[in-house]
Amino acid sequence: MRIGVDIGGTFTDMVAVDELGAIITTKTPSTPDDPSLGVADGLALLAQRLELTLPELLGRTELLIHGTTVATNCLTERKGAHVGLITTRGFRDVLELREGTKARRYDLHSPFPQPLIARPDRLEVPERTCWDGSVQAALDEAAVLAQIAVLRAQEVEAVVVGFLHAHVNPAHELRVRELIAAQGWDVYVVLSHEILGSEGEYDRFSTAAVNAYVGPRLSTYLRRLRERLEGAGASFPLLVMQSTGGLLPVDESARYAVGCITSGPAGGARASALYARLMQAERVIAYDTGGTTTDISLIERGMPIERRKTELEDVKIAVPSIDIQVVGLGGGSIARIDDGGILTLGPDSAGAAPGPACYGRGGGLPTLTDANLALGYLSSTTFLGGRMPLRRDLALAAIETAVARPLRLDVEQAALAIHTLASSRIAESVRAAALRRGMDPRDLTLLSFGGAGGVHAASVAAELSIPEAVVPREASVFSAMGFLAADIRLDGQIPFGKPLDEVQAGELSEVFAELEGRMRARMEACGFGAGQVRLERFLDCRYKRQNSTLEVMVPEHAVGLPPGQWLVEPFETRYRQYYGHVHHGEPPFIEICRVSAYGLITAQGGPRPSDHGAGTLPRPPGFEARRRIHLGRWVDVPAYWFDELRSGADLSGPALIDSATTAVLLPDGCQAHVDEFGSLVMHNHARKPA
Amino acid sequence: MNASHPSLRPAPDGSVDPITLSVVRYKLLAIAEEVVEVMTQASFSPILNQSRDFSSAVLDGDGMVLAQAERVPIHMGALSFAVKLMIEAFDGDLREGDVLMANDPYWGGSHLPDVTLAAPLFVDGQIRLWVANRAHQGDIGGISPGGYSPSAREIWHEGLRIPPVKLMDRGRVREDLLRLVCTNTRTPADMRGDLMAQLSSVSRGVARAADLYARYGARTMGRACGAILDAGERAMRRQLANWKQGEFEGVSCLDPLAPGQEALPVKVRIVLRGDSAIVDFRECADQQPSFINSPLANTKASVNVAFMYLSGGQDAQNDGSTRAIQVLTRPGSFVDPIEPAPVTACTTLTASVIIEAVMRGLAQAAPERVVAGYARRFRLAISGMDRNGRHFIWHTFANRGGGGAHDAADGWSNLGVIHNPGGSPSPSVERTEAAFPFQIETYALRPDSGGAGRMRGGLGGVYVLRYEGSAPATVTPTGDGAYTAPYGLAGGADGQPHHYTIERDGQELPLGAKEASLTLLPGDRIICRSAGGGGYGDPAQRDPSAARRDVEYGYISQRRGPQAA
Repeated sequence: MRIGVDIGGTFTDMVAVDELGAIITTKTPSTPDDPSLGVADGLALLAQRLELTLPELLGRTELLIHGTTVATNCLTERKGAHVGLITTRGFRDVLELREGTKARRYDLHSPFPQPLIARPDRLEVPERTCWDGSVQAALDEAAVLAQIAVLRAQEVEAVVVGFLHAHVNPAHELRVRELIAAQGWDVYVVLSHEILGSEGEYDRFSTAAVNAYVGPRLSTYLRRLRERLEGAGASFPLLVMQSTGGLLPVDESARYAVGCITSGPAGGARASALYARLMQAERVIAYDTGGTTTDISLIERGMPIERRKTELEDVKIAVPSIDIQVVGLGGGSIARIDDGGILTLGPDSAGAAPGPACYGRGGGLPTLTDANLALGYLSSTTFLGGRMPLRRDLALAAIETAVARPLRLDVEQAALAIHTLASSRIAESVRAAALRRGMDPRDLTLLSFGGAGGVHAASVAAELSIPEAVVPREASVFSAMGFLAADIRLDGQIPFGKPLDEVQAGELSEVFAELEGRMRARMEACGFGAGQVRLERFLDCRYKRQNSTLEVMVPEHAVGLPPGQWLVEPFETRYRQYYGHVHHGEPPFIEICRVSAYGLITAQGGPRPSDHGAGTLPRPPGFEARRRIHLGRWVDVPAYWFDELRSGADLSGPALIDSATTAVLLPDGCQAHVDEFGSLVMHNHARKPA
Repeated sequence: MNASHPSLRPAPDGSVDPITLSVVRYKLLAIAEEVVEVMTQASFSPILNQSRDFSSAVLDGDGMVLAQAERVPIHMGALSFAVKLMIEAFDGDLREGDVLMANDPYWGGSHLPDVTLAAPLFVDGQIRLWVANRAHQGDIGGISPGGYSPSAREIWHEGLRIPPVKLMDRGRVREDLLRLVCTNTRTPADMRGDLMAQLSSVSRGVARAADLYARYGARTMGRACGAILDAGERAMRRQLANWKQGEFEGVSCLDPLAPGQEALPVKVRIVLRGDSAIVDFRECADQQPSFINSPLANTKASVNVAFMYLSGGQDAQNDGSTRAIQVLTRPGSFVDPIEPAPVTACTTLTASVIIEAVMRGLAQAAPERVVAGYARRFRLAISGMDRNGRHFIWHTFANRGGGGAHDAADGWSNLGVIHNPGGSPSPSVERTEAAFPFQIETYALRPDSGGAGRMRGGLGGVYVLRYEGSAPATVTPTGDGAYTAPYGLAGGADGQPHHYTIERDGQELPLGAKEASLTLLPGDRIICRSAGGGGYGDPAQRDPSAARRDVEYGYISQRRGPQAA
């Protein structure tokens, strides 16, 4: 038995897969003060549903895979540790200078983002390593000891050590860690070159600062969780989902805290990749419309596409993660008439509190959810499986006041305007995300898994001329499913920094041999022998005149070959995909050698969802098999309870498909079927619209 | 599946239904975004595809901007001038499949490196929309590589002038014209590649616009476009009506163009009456034999940028908004020059000062929205031999200077110029040292550089570069703001201006922004102290905890203390 656990803001989701691949899920309330309590509750419920005692369940569990928002919340709420920095003399302000950039360039009124380490806690010492790794000025150890004493007196909880060119020669950073330990100071220490072994002091220092900022809280939390599990009798390994979609053992994860900043959404992308593999879809674009945002990710050949850098809350994180593009549109997005008199939607959101008007929690502004309720696409009695009764009267009143009356429309027309604008915005965002990766949306399969996305999926696919839109059945516990489809993953890199035509024979193989040795040793420490480890090698390359790099995978047959024999073609293919052309005859510049090591734990590629099992929940008492909805005029349509639909079922629109977490609108003239994995697949035969 | 939403009853008064209107407005914006996205992917020179120094717009048949992709603020509304003059130049001699090109400042352009392509969308034999793209090309000929020539005295010194021409004629690229243009730059391959990228981007935009017309029909689209412009106008007028009425004056000065000369003021008189504004630059001096002249399109675009910063959202911004703002200039002045005045610095140096003058003029009318002065652009170019004996040219992109404070917050440190705050990340110290014969000894905040105020100006920086080459090199400064300090507002103090020096044998030699090239000797240090932003409001009213923190954090040195600051 393997268990995936996703702790969200409201619910803790669990998915268990047994030895035969059967799936059981639970959903219990989260316990924000001590999230590990919610995990214990979930496990108890899981045991109950399996008709086991808790010790029996824990005894049969091989692995528990965990996605956590502790690190994310720590950063976004600015509730991290008190961190100090020891750096090269002359460079204490690197974090505050931020490379001279600003996320929203033309909004001159937003406040200056305070760095994660305040200026008095950023201390300098005399030392200097040069660009080629030579030491120009030795580390002044007396000065280091003095600065350690200062930070200790200021009671910092974590220390970042960041020196210039430490990625080339880390000796001074390593020595400072020894000096800290020699003082008997037990503090969370982060060395910039260990977090990120590449050129660029701002990238390294900023990423290390995030690690130090969220690390102590994450460590405490993971320790508490492990103690609670062990106290209940667990002896299985605990793994933590990373932003890359890979897993880390709990100790590595506590040290490499920056790696799980987008752990939860990575699970969703990972699950999308699982479905892409099962459906044998070459390219999938997945969108997750939730309460406040739409998260978009792309899956190519069964793997989520990654990015090298992330900007989150004005903080730069320069380690790889799944490329999830976030658009400010969700069920809570507020509809209003702008100064010019035209309807707009978002990006501001009513959030969970006060929430949409129909939640009855005092929110008076109309949201997308209110519009979908007003049109009958959402049901006031079966929303979230009936756990959240909605007030249609409040939704209508809010739409009437803020949208219908100023535009002189009926309230239904106003609601339809909001719904239609939302579909257009999701569609254009999906189109933009695909284009950015050099892909034509028409070649993609669309996957919708967020709670608020299902009522728009068919329109989004039609607007983009995408032939198939898929809504998976396991949407309620999608991220947790993704956790179970992941393997352990460790990433390592060594800077290379040479144009292809200057690479000496054997030079690259040597670098890779060293890197692979390191990675295998780390894997060994995680309990993975040679037979259970798969390595992927990459070169980050660019043209000399270019700043950003593109990643080129080293094919198995090319390992050990001089790069001159194989690199140009895949580099140019990649460059052409992004930029539409290449510079013939210009040699690629090899910036970085990287290795991703996978410790293989997934049997047959992870869980295999089907049309039953899983979250099978009985239809709630308020469910009605016929509903009245507005499609330009009021019509009666059949409604289906998603969990009751079996593989092979065919449906014709107009119809609604409801589940405990989402509602799907099958528009007039649209056909759908349920596939062997239990997903609803809608077909687009419409001609290409604008 | 059938995605087209059920249409509403046609509105009886010939107006367009609100669903269509909001969706069409959003889709026009998405087309403009798609054009720049195609440009990002297809642009040829690595510099252009990273700096993204381009923008695009969708315009109506008369050349009014309906939607614009937000990339370079100074292109805001400027494309309209270029397209209108293209329409005029061809006077009806346009066919389906034509794509026009121009860069000339005296034909609606800004400066010569900015090349504009525009393609019409024909429906039923009529031009309904234009899709335009403007990109800053790496080189356009002229005296200096890259086009910025302080020594230019006439527009012809600045490079190749392209009046409106057909780069594509009924679907066929004019190879002869392409050869002519590429022959006139130092980087012909980049120019050809980037022009082709521009061409494919506007073609994509036209194809998407055609889809939109096919879906909604010419009648509805025509009405929607009109309504979108009306909405832009309504939004701007509503904004203006909320500001204090009256007549205001604003002045901001360019540094003296040569040592010993007077600073050159941009003077503006702004009349706010009812829901409209008159922005009058007729007091400005005659055009100058210097690259700082700002053609009318650039001057008006700068005014648009200032109003964009001052208004809340830019969602509703389009050429409709500019109907509420009348800009008056005197032909022959340096903000409305006539041929042959040179203009290359207009999009950077002069644009900043025009924005500043408008901002200062409106300080009393919209006190919650105006911002105090930002650091101006001051860059160095160093050329010499690198460690491998190869020739190099290096430009400073780090150390941008502080942003101005405003009513509600301190200014941003190290943000740079008001005409383009932020921008691409500056290269790392590590990359700079690895690639060039320099050691960077310090890159830090510059204490006491931000103007004091209830809200403090953002800090500039200190960037110390030691030249480690084995032979002398040449340093060429270009920029502004070494003389003029970023202004404070509402009782706030000015920031410190730029202060650059060369340290040689223990002596510090001043390094001005408008000087000719200087020789740099091995071992010389260049000390760049960039300007701090202006402060806002009375310093005595600064929140005591913020004042204490300024000292504790070393933003203000102990010596000056919070009160004396």
